[in-house]
Formats: sequence, structure tokens, C-alpha cells
Amino acid sequence: MTTKKDKLIDLCLLAGKLMLMYGAETYRVEDTMKRMAVAGGMDNVNSFVTTTGIFLSGVLEDDDDIMQMIRIVDRFQDLSKVTEVNHISREFVAGRMSITDARQELKRVEKQPMNYPLWLIYIASAIGGGAFSYLIGDSLFDMIPASIGGLVSTLALVLFQHYLQAKFFSEYLAAFFGGVTALILVHSGFGTNIDQIIIGSLIPLVPGVPLTNSVRDLMAGDLISGLARGAEAALTSLSIAAGVATAVSLFL
Amino acid sequence: MVWELIICGIATVAFAIIFNIPYRLLWMIGLIGMLSWSVYSFLPITGVGPVPAAAVAAFSSALISHFAARKKRVPVTTFTIPGIIPLVPGGRAYETMLAFVQGDYIEGLSQGAGTLLQAGAIAGGLAFALSIFSIGRGVGQRYETNR
Repeated sequence: MTTKKDKLIDLCLLAGKLMLMYGAETYRVEDTMKRMAVAGGMDNVNSFVTTTGIFLSGVLEDDDDIMQMIRIVDRFQDLSKVTEVNHISREFVAGRMSITDARQELKRVEKQPMNYPLWLIYIASAIGGGAFSYLIGDSLFDMIPASIGGLVSTLALVLFQHYLQAKFFSEYLAAFFGGVTALILVHSGFGTNIDQIIIGSLIPLVPGVPLTNSVRDLMAGDLISGLARGAEAALTSLSIAAGVATAVSLFL
Repeated sequence: MVWELIICGIATVAFAIIFNIPYRLLWMIGLIGMLSWSVYSFLPITGVGPVPAAAVAAFSSALISHFAARKKRVPVTTFTIPGIIPLVPGGRAYETMLAFVQGDYIEGLSQGAGTLLQAGAIAGGLAFALSIFSIGRGVGQRYETNR
């Protein structure tokens, strides 16, 4: 039998887990869970979130203390899910949604597919790579090979993350294939400015979410998560650099 | 210049799609990216180096992002993450990597220092805008003056 206490703490943990998994900052997750628990009638609420795990403790109406944790393994970048969970938690805190409704909504968010289909993300990384390369290199024609390179590196990243499931190695391989594509295009005469083309093909791999979140976590005083995310961003950038360095030293 | 701005807006919107940002916010993100690029490319004309220019550009785009996030009631990272993408020191990072591959370590170290400084400047700009918006809500440090 599930009591109100269990339902409430399940709801808070589910909201926190979704936010942390899809790329919210640590202090936002802590704040959201605490507000939801207090709005549900809990006292003595404490939440502690790191990049890889969530702890929540509290006491409901003179019952025993309750304390639960979950471990977060996967980290994706899907900011529209963070926005939706944020909205649901606001509605719950304002009292416009019951525990059961909020849980149903969160389950719906958990199950729903990505906001944009995968092919649109491929097209976006092609366009983003091409457009960004123009900002660096000033050559209109070289936008085309740069966007081909951006498309190849994102395709390779999604493919390797799906089949290999190795965090930094897949970024290394994606950067390697993006760099090889750019070099092949330049050597076959399709494109002139090699710097611009290589940068354009690698820019969709930039770890924007951990980079920004690291700064915000450090500023909010969450030193452990800030450093952890900073390490994630640094390792990702290093793997990208190593991948393109391999490609350049093999083929240039 | 106008072409650059338009292309920068397109690039920022494309990155917003890569980060899966909701459809209804895309146009604002394009404007924020154009703002940070115009600050970043205008300041060097007046004699400011690229590192302070990146800091000022990151600060101004983060400031606008905070206002927009207040207005739309969404997490502010939705705006800041794609907003700083045009400032990423991709060219310098590439030069660093190339110098190390070619065995020119001195050049690699100096370019690498430039890259790290620019990344730090972006982080500093973000942090400064964040501090302005969290006055009164920050964490206590050093002295307890309110006893």
C-alpha cells in the first residue's frame, strides 16, 4: 500500500531525475524538489544533488523521517523536457495540480520522444556547422563542405553513442570522422579554406550544456557538481581535439 | 556585416534545435545570438582585444537571456546555452591543436593560453550576469555580517 508520503517523495524524485538527466543545473533541481516537497506538506526537507545522484529527505505529518536517493547514469541534452518539468512543478507548487495528475504528466514527459525528430537535428547540425564556419572564415563557398562535415560528425556521434555506449570515445570517433570528411573534401578540390571547413564540421560537437551548467553551478555554490561538470566539458573538448588531431596527422 | 548577422542568427537557431529547445522560443534565441555576435565583432573595431570583447558579449547576451527567461517563465539556460555558441573560440582551438600536431609546442602553448582565456572570459561574462540577477539570494561566505 502506498501512502501519501511515498507518493509525494516519488513525485519529487521523478521530477528531479528528469530535470537532472536532461540537462538542468544542480541548484535548479534542488530548488524544484524542495519547493514541491514543501508544497505537498512535508517538513524539514533537505535535498542534495550532485551531477550523478539525487538525495531527498523529509518528514510528513509526524510520521517517520523518510530519505531516498536515486543514481543518474545517462545525461542527455533535451532542454525542452527541462522546461516542461519546470512548468509542471510550478503548477503543482501553486496548487493547480494534484499529486496524481502531476505524476501522470511527469510520466508522459518521461515517455515522450525528443522535441525535434532526429533528421531535423541532423539538418540543424549541417546548417549550424556551415553558418558557423562562415563567421570564422569569411568564405561563402566553403559553407557547403563545412555543412557536409557537420552532418557527418553528428551522424557518427549518434551512431557510435547508440552502438558503443562509450561516453568520450564516441566523441573522439565522431571528431575523427568529421575531420577525415573535411580533409577528403579539401583534397578532392571541393573547398579551399581548410581551417574553416574543419572548424565548421566540429562545431556541432561542442559541449555547450555542461560548459554553461558548470559556470552556473560554481556560482551557486555547488562546488562538487560544478567541478564535475567542468571536468565533463574539458574531457569532451579534449576528446574532440584528439580525434581531429588524429585525422590531421594521418591525412594532412 | 548584415550578411554576417543573418548567418549568425541562422547558426544560433540551428544550435537551439541541436539542444532541443522548445519551438516557440527559437526566434528569441536567434535575436540573442545576433546580439552577442554584433557586440563581439563590433568591439575589436574600437581597439578592444578579442578576450574582453568575448566577456562583454557573453555578459550582454546573458543579461538579455535573464530578462527573456523571466518573461517567458522558462529556465534561463534555455537562452544562455545557444546564446554563447557564436563566441566559442573554435579558430584558436584549431590553431592550438594544429601547432601541437606539428610539434611547435611554444606556438601551441601560446594559442592554447589564448583559447583558455577566451573560454574563461565567456564564463566570466555569464557569471557576472548571473550575480546581478541573484543579488540577495547568493550563498553566505567569509563573514556573518547579519548577526
